[in-house]
Amino acid sequence: MNGVGLHKRLEANTGLLIFGILFVSAIGGLVQVLPSIFQDSLAAPSAGVKPHSPAELVGRDIYIREGCSTCHSQQVRPLLAEVKRYGPFSRAGESAYDRPFLWGSKRTGPDLHRVGGRYSDEWQRLHLLDPRTVVPNSIMPAYPWLAERPADAGPDIQLRMRALRSLGHPYSDADIEAAPAAIEGLTEMDALVAYLQGLGTAMPAGGGR
Amino acid sequence: MQTTMPTADLPGDFWAGWIAVLTVGSLIGLGWLVYSIYFAANGSGKAEDGHEGPVWDGNLREGAQPPPMWWFWLLFASLAISVLYLMLYPGLGSHAGALQWSQGGRLSDSMAEFEAKFGGLRQLVAEGSLETLRADPELIRSARSIFHRHCAACHGDEGQGQAQRFPNLTDAEWQWGGSAAAIEQSIRQGRTAVMVGWLPVLGDAGVKQVTDYVRQLQEGSAAGHPGQVRYGQFCAACHAPDGAGNPILGAPSLIDQVTLYGDSIDAIEYSIAIGRTGLMPAFGERLDNTQIRLLVAYLTRAGEVKRES
Repeated sequence: MNGVGLHKRLEANTGLLIFGILFVSAIGGLVQVLPSIFQDSLAAPSAGVKPHSPAELVGRDIYIREGCSTCHSQQVRPLLAEVKRYGPFSRAGESAYDRPFLWGSKRTGPDLHRVGGRYSDEWQRLHLLDPRTVVPNSIMPAYPWLAERPADAGPDIQLRMRALRSLGHPYSDADIEAAPAAIEGLTEMDALVAYLQGLGTAMPAGGGR
Repeated sequence: MQTTMPTADLPGDFWAGWIAVLTVGSLIGLGWLVYSIYFAANGSGKAEDGHEGPVWDGNLREGAQPPPMWWFWLLFASLAISVLYLMLYPGLGSHAGALQWSQGGRLSDSMAEFEAKFGGLRQLVAEGSLETLRADPELIRSARSIFHRHCAACHGDEGQGQAQRFPNLTDAEWQWGGSAAAIEQSIRQGRTAVMVGWLPVLGDAGVKQVTDYVRQLQEGSAAGHPGQVRYGQFCAACHAPDGAGNPILGAPSLIDQVTLYGDSIDAIEYSIAIGRTGLMPAFGERLDNTQIRLLVAYLTRAGEVKRES
């Protein structure tokens, strides 16, 4: 049989055609995606990476809701200029507890993966309330409402933690039990700042420079 | 330095074989498809069982003519490039490729290039005296750009301080000490300044009284002020009896004209009643010795300029 003959046979047999299309279009995924799911160095958390605290989880959701990742990536690429500017390049294992990860692909603002600990909490607050207070030529929008809305107004934090636990995030019963108290009285601003301050802090010793 | 990986992060064992077999299989399959369409088709338009396919416009039928040859050469080139690529670069399971290329390797190469180009100079800077560094306009320009990248978001583009939170670094007043050693420590390890709120201890009237005393102190006319007793009891331990402050504790001077959080009565009352927390993050892990040395030179220079004028 040659290619033309195979083509005719497939054209004449719909079932075979469907199977053929599925098989051919699956090859890319089978080669590129499937093995990486089972590759430990990509899926296992890097040393020092912990699951998000309740406040960080809420902050992460706010980060997603406000669309921060439209302008800020969270991946320092393994290039000299990036490592010099931002710090050690990002490892896959550092996103083990990010579902979905927020690597992003566009930088209108700077990359945020190594932003944790770079500024004080107070700077982060002032900056979110009005970025121009601290960076006069910033084009980032202001997010003043974050300071007014309570952090625990969203969906039940315990449900969210249980859902993550079923995906393998090591939350203990005690962690989940204590979660509502941990975010009680916090504003969305507090939660988002907690999330930002935790970003990329499990970086390898020695720094990137 | 752990920022580099010697080789690519390749899959092992079963998955390596899985990837290799599927990839090679796909390439062979594609090769066969291209070959058979161009060189093994019988061109009659008949299927192998002899049945005619549909015919259009009198003589147009499927497979009657092979596709154009330039198309074949494109396909052939793509296949050849794929094979070449898989031989040179990582991609075929655990085969690292003849070039031993990896992202980590590329990074360490450019690191090495960077070191080779600037290593000597950086060593000189890290060990040079501050006077020499300050005298070199090129180096001060580098220091400025380091300052802009790492410090300006809080301290302002020119180090002038901003938002009534982040101290001015161009004046002679240094909350944690203005010596080169003290500035270097501030950069490397960061600083945490905590002024607790005194409202529960002093009460409303007490806060107002001490506020007034502090304002008089600043103007140098506090002698005999009734607030002096409370000041001596609660404030003098950190801010010193004469209000000169204590750089070891980060307790600012109350008698100079610099007021970080503003010099209004409200601002001072707030500081005394509720307290203040100032945090300078540690940059010892984010900057290297050369960068820190340059910043120290830049900042002590800024202080000198101001002191001279």
